[in-house]
Amino acid sequence: MIKAVDITHKYNNDLALNRVNLEIKKGEFVSIIGESGSGKSTLLSILSTLLKPSEGDVIFNDTNYKEIENIDTFRQTNIGFIFQFHYLINYLNVKDNLKIANEKVSEEEINTLLEKLDIQELVNKYPSEISGGQRQRVAIARAMMNKPTVIFADEPTGNLDSKNSLKVFELFKKLSNEGTIIIVATHDLKLAALADTIYEVKDGQL
Amino acid sequence: MLSNAIKALKANALKTTLIYFSLIFSIVSIFLISAISSGIISMYSSMLKSDGDIIITQAKISDTFFSNVDINLINKIDRLNGVKESSAMIVGASPVEKLPIVAVYGVTKNRLKNYKLIKNNYPKQNEALVGEAIYTNLKNKNSISIANKDFKISGVFTSDVGFENGSVVINIDEAGKIFNKSASMIMVNSDLNANIELLIKNIKSLDTNIDAKSTDNFVDNYNQFKIIKTSSNVISLIAFAMGLLGIVSIMSITINQRKSEFGIKRALGISMKKIIYSIMFESLILGCLSFVSAFLLSEFALYLIKHSSHLQGYVNGEITFSLALSIFLTSISMAVIGAIIPAFNAAQTDPVSLIQGNRI
Ligand SMILES: Nc1ncnc2c1ncn2[C@@H]1O[C@H](COP(=O)(O)OP(=O)(O)OP(=O)(O)O)[C@@H](O)[C@H]1O
Ligand SMILES: [Mg+2]
Repeated sequence: MIKAVDITHKYNNDLALNRVNLEIKKGEFVSIIGESGSGKSTLLSILSTLLKPSEGDVIFNDTNYKEIENIDTFRQTNIGFIFQFHYLINYLNVKDNLKIANEKVSEEEINTLLEKLDIQELVNKYPSEISGGQRQRVAIARAMMNKPTVIFADEPTGNLDSKNSLKVFELFKKLSNEGTIIIVATHDLKLAALADTIYEVKDGQL
Repeated sequence: MLSNAIKALKANALKTTLIYFSLIFSIVSIFLISAISSGIISMYSSMLKSDGDIIITQAKISDTFFSNVDINLINKIDRLNGVKESSAMIVGASPVEKLPIVAVYGVTKNRLKNYKLIKNNYPKQNEALVGEAIYTNLKNKNSISIANKDFKISGVFTSDVGFENGSVVINIDEAGKIFNKSASMIMVNSDLNANIELLIKNIKSLDTNIDAKSTDNFVDNYNQFKIIKTSSNVISLIAFAMGLLGIVSIMSITINQRKSEFGIKRALGISMKKIIYSIMFESLILGCLSFVSAFLLSEFALYLIKHSSHLQGYVNGEITFSLALSIFLTSISMAVIGAIIPAFNAAQTDPVSLIQGNRI
């Protein structure tokens, strides 16, 4: 469960988020829509520990972010990220890219995960050798490596065609059915409609 | 960790090569300057130590080259208790044929036996004994002209000490006329069980114009050696700084280009410490590789120097184990220190910039 309590965020003196309150339950699939510059990415950054809000609290299963001692371990065990750009490391093959997220994972687990995403044949390929849609699916696999409680995705389909975009959202649906919280920011209203809950951010407010 | 580090280095091949070369240049410089300077020092000191426990020079002069002591002191010294034998030497230099500077040693008869003959005889009046390295260079192998005076070549000797192997030996009275002095220094060989300190005291009391030191003490305090050592250290330090700058600057560029890699790692919860270590590790690999290459290159360069007739054998360097070890440690610290700033920069990448869609 993730709960945002009265979150306000200012960049220097510009208000980006204004008293946002929100509660997301286990396995919920949430999409966040809103115009460019409305504050979607800012909200995602705050909910995912990447950014400390100017005011307010985020509570994650009874833990207030302010009380977390080792934010790295927390992130590694609980949170997965998917960005608009895949950010795969170009000199490592798919398998080694996945291992960045978790060194200890076995080959078998990697293969099972890749099978689930229908990209098992790419395991030894390099990012430059696969398609944009495939790269994004590898990035999703990387986000899932540590079996996180929540996956944050900011414009994950921004660089994909509609067919690949739909595949990604169907995958999110499947993951949320398995109990992972999915929080996606997107411009695409059709895709956003696939989520359990839709929030719209407008001028920094929900 | 190792395989990923190597992959990262390979992925940035050009910059890796640049760092590699800048490290090699710097380490080779340190190797050569240290090896050559310690080579010169050890050559000269082994020459001084070859016979004689005590060295007598003119008092209060900064360099033995300018020293002038009265050769007749030998007679008085020989009478002292505990003295086995004493000899005198004049150190001079003169152009010989095309060689601009050749060491000329004027020695007393009893010193001649120190030069190992490989051809003919020791020099008599108007004769000169030449070192092997000079002899092979000479056009006229029968006579040699030193400061406009002709000497018949009486024989050839060989020596492990480059300074000697490339020198000419004549009798001290003739050298005295050429270089206008009595003797540069007197070397005293003591009896096995003689009290050196007492002997030095007794020698000093013979003449107020002289200074007497044990050979070891003399070598330790010889000004020329101090100058050589200091310049060698300064040059090494500069080379170290250049290598360091090479790593810092080129590595910083690489790190900048890899920002998205560090950003995603931070987002994935990889600690700053781990990122710092991984970059230092990459640098360490380069440091080790460069050290090995620099070592081989230096050995090769020293070989060439040693066998260059142009240098008359005067320049000679040897890489001892302890020198190699200390330069290895220097290389490692250069790699590690040089990587600190880039590594911290990398670790500080803010993953928020990824969420903003920046292709950092
Ligand atoms: N690092 C920053 N420094 C200053 N202002 C920022 C920064 N990041 C975002 N902002 C501002 O905060 C506001 C919200 O930005 P945010 O990126 O959250 O919007 P968004 O909804 O994600 O937009 P988009 O749909 O274009 O991605 C914008 O006005 C933006 O200019
Ligand atoms: Mg955004």
